Amino acid sequence: MSITEFIDKYRSLHVGEHVENTEISLAGRILNKRSSSSKLYFYDLHGNGAKIQVMADARHSNMDENEFCKYHSGVKRGDIVGICGFPGKSQRGELSIFPRSLVVLTPCLHMLPRHTVTSNSDEAQSEKKTRNHSWTPGITRNPETNILRDQETRYRQRYLDLMLNSEVQKIFGTRAKIISYSRDFLDNLGFIEVETPAMTMTAGGAAARPFITHHNELNMKLYMRISPELYLKKLVVGGLDRVYEIGKVFRNEGMDLTHLPEFTMFEFYMAYADYNDLMGIIEKLLSGMVKEMTGSHKIKYHGNGFDSEPVEIDFTPPFRRIDLIEEIESRANLSIPKDLSSETANKFLLEACEKFDVKCLAPHTTARLLDKLVGHFLEETCINPTFIINHPEIMSPLAKWHRSKPGLTERFELFVNKKELCNAYTELNDPQVQRQRFAEQLKDRQLGDDEAMVLDESFCSCLEYGLPPTAGLGMGIDRLAMLLTDSPNVKEVILFPAMKPQD
Amino acid sequence: MEGLKVWRLSSSIARPSNLRQLFGLGTSSGLVRCLDNGAAAANATNTRLPSRNRRASTSTSTSTNTSDREAVRAIRLKKVEQLRSKGTEPYGYKWDRSHSAKELQEIYKDLNNGEELDSESHHVSIAGRIVARRAFGKLAFLTLRDDSGTIQLYCEKERLLNDQFEQLKTLVDIGDILGASGSIKRTEKGELSVKVVSFSILTKTLLPLPDKFHGLTDIDKRYRQRYVDMIANPEVADIFRKRAKIMREIRKTVESRGFVEVETPVLQGAAGGAEARPFVTYHNSLGRDLYLRIATELHLKRMLVGGFEKVYEIGRIFRNEGISTRHNPEFTTIEMYEAYSDYQSMMDMAEEIVTQCALEVNGKLTIDYQGTEIQLQRPWRRETMHNLVKEVTGVDFTELEDDLKVAKDVVLKAVGLGLDSKDKSSIEACPSLGHLLNEVFEIFVEPKLLQPTFVLDYPIEISPLAKPHRRHAGLTERFELFICGRELANAFSELTDPLDQRARLEEQVRQHNKKRAEAVSVTDGTGEQKNIDEDSMYEVTLDDDFLTALEYGMPPASGMGLGIDRLVMLLTDSASIRDVIAFPVLKISQ
Repeated sequence: MSITEFIDKYRSLHVGEHVENTEISLAGRILNKRSSSSKLYFYDLHGNGAKIQVMADARHSNMDENEFCKYHSGVKRGDIVGICGFPGKSQRGELSIFPRSLVVLTPCLHMLPRHTVTSNSDEAQSEKKTRNHSWTPGITRNPETNILRDQETRYRQRYLDLMLNSEVQKIFGTRAKIISYSRDFLDNLGFIEVETPAMTMTAGGAAARPFITHHNELNMKLYMRISPELYLKKLVVGGLDRVYEIGKVFRNEGMDLTHLPEFTMFEFYMAYADYNDLMGIIEKLLSGMVKEMTGSHKIKYHGNGFDSEPVEIDFTPPFRRIDLIEEIESRANLSIPKDLSSETANKFLLEACEKFDVKCLAPHTTARLLDKLVGHFLEETCINPTFIINHPEIMSPLAKWHRSKPGLTERFELFVNKKELCNAYTELNDPQVQRQRFAEQLKDRQLGDDEAMVLDESFCSCLEYGLPPTAGLGMGIDRLAMLLTDSPNVKEVILFPAMKPQD
Repeated sequence: MEGLKVWRLSSSIARPSNLRQLFGLGTSSGLVRCLDNGAAAANATNTRLPSRNRRASTSTSTSTNTSDREAVRAIRLKKVEQLRSKGTEPYGYKWDRSHSAKELQEIYKDLNNGEELDSESHHVSIAGRIVARRAFGKLAFLTLRDDSGTIQLYCEKERLLNDQFEQLKTLVDIGDILGASGSIKRTEKGELSVKVVSFSILTKTLLPLPDKFHGLTDIDKRYRQRYVDMIANPEVADIFRKRAKIMREIRKTVESRGFVEVETPVLQGAAGGAEARPFVTYHNSLGRDLYLRIATELHLKRMLVGGFEKVYEIGRIFRNEGISTRHNPEFTTIEMYEAYSDYQSMMDMAEEIVTQCALEVNGKLTIDYQGTEIQLQRPWRRETMHNLVKEVTGVDFTELEDDLKVAKDVVLKAVGLGLDSKDKSSIEACPSLGHLLNEVFEIFVEPKLLQPTFVLDYPIEISPLAKPHRRHAGLTERFELFICGRELANAFSELTDPLDQRARLEEQVRQHNKKRAEAVSVTDGTGEQKNIDEDSMYEVTLDDDFLTALEYGMPPASGMGLGIDRLVMLLTDSASIRDVIAFPVLKISQ
């Protein structure tokens, strides 16, 4: 049985009680070894996130005393062992397994790092802290309690991190639950999971620099996808009304606390729905997920690093909604020209950025200037989940024009702790307008904005076969996992994150 | 004005009278048919050549089709303008559906012919694509198809609001996406219909749907424009629905046994875990080459070192190799690893996964694959590679001495007659007895393994990541699962000895570099040889980090990789991998 099953089954034994007529077989890694004499050894056996004490007493062993002493003196911290024995509680009340036999299944050839103790704290105390600290999603973590604390080692040799730092397995368990919760949620709404290509002829659906590779036999240049969006919409055109994909997306960009070259994207598309429907759906998905995983709608998060106090984030629906242009105007006391594609608007926003000391690197396209103002005035206010809605057309080449507000689109971005978590819109399904939008992107590109979207002709001609009214949403799984595991660094939630080459 | 043509009738309305109308053979009692010239010409072609093999007519029909297309597009663009000038947006924002077509077909399956349900509680609202229509003076029938199936729209001039009937006749085309609401009626002819009170054009289409999209000449286009294929052939979309079901069932099966899903990197510093040419890319900010993974194996094993006991990953794998009916450069596998078990346990797991998926998709364990009946009832045959080779060829490899040359002579003597020169030379090229056994197995046994068979105990020379067999020297505890002559899964008791592993991987690198050096030294030769040369021109490096991880100790474990695309092919009776991948990689079109 597993260690967890063992604990569940025998936790109610009395102090000093032994169940000698039962034979249990367990396996795991030894992370602690103590001996009180050559005939009595204590081990901590770890497996799948659980721990149990092994009380190896020569009197219970199948080996004779000499053999026993010799074998156990050779068992090292780090070895993987299999044990057959009986359950019981020690005189101190600790649930243990008493081995009849113990065999090393795989020896460990290296010394495992030990808990390093900082000079001003007492070892026993810190040991105790480690033991009592049992992390669950939604509460804060304390990296000081980790046995292995060097970040480089933790990420480069994740297996050591998993082995030694008890909460790391739980972090990845939480990540797995986020994904399975999302899948179940959509499956119950009649969505089907699909797979679209990771390697494509053009890199569309987002504004980002792609990875390029080459297919030898076909002698063909291929791009790694930067978004699955255009392919998913093609499937909706093909008649699959509700589709989603959870998959890797690749962007050839620099790395920082929230960006890595490959990350996991969750996108879904729903025919006959609009962005209002999606706001309701994503509120339900996120608040339900947070409630199920943490027992509450509120989480604690070290959004400003472990040196600062954690912030509380409240996922109770409905989430706040703010209108992008209106909110900037009221916060900055501006009156932004209505025609955002005009020169006047561009000049106005450039001056506004200067006035409020908002930095924007060239090229100063209207879309980039607005984006900076959003960052300065709006994102800062979005600690609790907040929808920023109705982005201008010039910022949203794939979103449908707003049904009642000229120049704007039916789009929202969901911000949590000042970071974008979701991006969604009523999809643009008029092929002629889509072509115009691509043409405008080309203009920005010519101004030097190399992240402006490129025209995808196969997508435009697909739209000519008719995309039903559809709403679509993309959400970064890694960012959601960061929030629910109190991880200010995205590398905490990715098993094997990309790292700079070692010298 | 564009004609009212019946386009690819779905089975529920494909009654003979409709077909007659399609080909202009009907008695046209009150039937309005105003075909424009282009469509008439196209239909005439269909009448003359109803067969799917229309290769002869391609060159001419392509040119007419293109001009047709442009003409239709121009007409429809005008309709877009017309709608907007009337204040109607031809690209709607949303539609609230009360039911899907299938739901209605089920709810009202007992409604009698000619019966109508008019009360408020039977007022329904649906949406979908118009795939066929017939119009009479004051009456029109449209077939609407949604994700779930089809239903007829019964449109009566008096019943519709305002001038909507006129709009329906003049502005709605086959292919358009409509939302409609009304009451329920089964026609005298027995067709369940929504008797429309009002409708709305949700998406005006600009391009006509193809008449005969399934024609042989269009195979390439079917894959390139999968969405058109799906609109034209609803059974194509069904394959992707089944694929989603299979994925869900696999996850359910492994998670119910405690496996945890993880994600390992696609972009890697070294591509290991299999022998295949990787894709290379360049990361700008790191300033280095990265490889796309060719397997998930080595990272998943690190998870076991880290203390996870049961992990799996379903993900994309990339191999820079040719394309065929069985190969796409990117494909999907599930790899799973379980601590403290051996390859026997993975055989049970493979049986469990495949049978569960078969039941989920087909409801039974006897399935038909391309005309062959496959029995998936458990348990499946388990036989060693040695015995299978002996059974088919009569050569008993256990009796062969260690002399490779003698062994090759024995093999060629036993089976040489039936060999073509390519197979013969690959047998002669085998560098070891293990390779020879495997070569003979692949040539003679593989194609015969139609019913599910676990082939056990592969030679060590071709199994660099598998544990040595506990009883038979020179063999490993490995199996591959074959169904319909194709490998579906590959599994072993994992090699956990770090020194043995290092030696085997170093040997692999050495062998590869040797091949590579030979390839470089051959400067000229036949074209075919050149191809072989290029195949080994990529670099193989040792994954040192993986070996270090093993040194920290990996528990005894078994692992398996299973090709999901091939499983979907098997369970959906699809001949090509391109039929089960929504957007397969294709050669650049001219």
